[in-house]
Amino acid sequence: MTRQALARAAALALGGVFLYASFDKIAQPPEFARILYHYQVIGPSAHLPPMLPNLVAVVLPWLEAIVGLLLLAGVWRREAAAVAAALLAIFIAAAGSALARGIDIENCGCFSVGASGRRLGALLLVGDAALLAAALSLARSAAPQAPAGDGAALTRTTPAA
Amino acid sequence: MLVASLGLGLAWNAASGRGLALTRSVFLREGDQEIEVAEAKARLDKGTLFLDARPVEFYELAHVPGSRPLPEEDFDRWFAQLEPILRAQLEVIVYCSGYGCEASHLVARKLKDRGIPALILHEGWPAWQDAGYPEHSGNAP
Repeated sequence: MTRQALARAAALALGGVFLYASFDKIAQPPEFARILYHYQVIGPSAHLPPMLPNLVAVVLPWLEAIVGLLLLAGVWRREAAAVAAALLAIFIAAAGSALARGIDIENCGCFSVGASGRRLGALLLVGDAALLAAALSLARSAAPQAPAGDGAALTRTTPAA
Repeated sequence: MLVASLGLGLAWNAASGRGLALTRSVFLREGDQEIEVAEAKARLDKGTLFLDARPVEFYELAHVPGSRPLPEEDFDRWFAQLEPILRAQLEVIVYCSGYGCEASHLVARKLKDRGIPALILHEGWPAWQDAGYPEHSGNAP
């Protein structure tokens, strides 16, 4: 398999994960906000009003969906991968912080916001780290090559040096 | 990407019928009654019963003096033990671990469903500690 094909496969896998992860959260913003509260990272607290986690609960799932769609479509792939990497780094930091503080989170809010959600644990961090490695690799990779036909046309119209 | 997400998210939140009130805690529902820590302390001094909705291990570490454990995770069993005491109260105040904790809201609703008026301590146990109010430890109230 060529490097380009590998990158395409990684983009499809990562895009699929991000798009799938957004569905349940988009459908149920209050339930996702409730999960964010449990992390006790962005509030609410004595200093952080509910507005911040509520806004994140409303916006973050859509950002996941857009990143997923761009990766699946192969449009702005490197930029989408960079955003995916940033999001995964934030997820890992939030999850690691909750684990380090001994907060027991029954549902990590990764894919489902209902009773079928996964409990926050070290295994989740390993999975996120693997996704982060894939996203970083994609963000650093060369942009997808233009189809051969376009390249040929460009060659014909470019004056010789 | 961020701007598109912000626009789509806010539009969906406003129009879908599944949205949330951005400025209000999602733990709060209609009928929930919260009480500030200073007012709660005043009521404790007048004899109001406090209920600790956290897991019992946390209660044993430290709790509001005179409070009883009523952990949300094992509500039915503990409620059966406490019911005669609870039925004798005009009102009770429920607390848990603060902002990230929903147990006090859930316990207060269950108590109300059983006819026992219950207030929720705003910011919970951290607010009590921050105010410097007295604490007890162990499994006795």
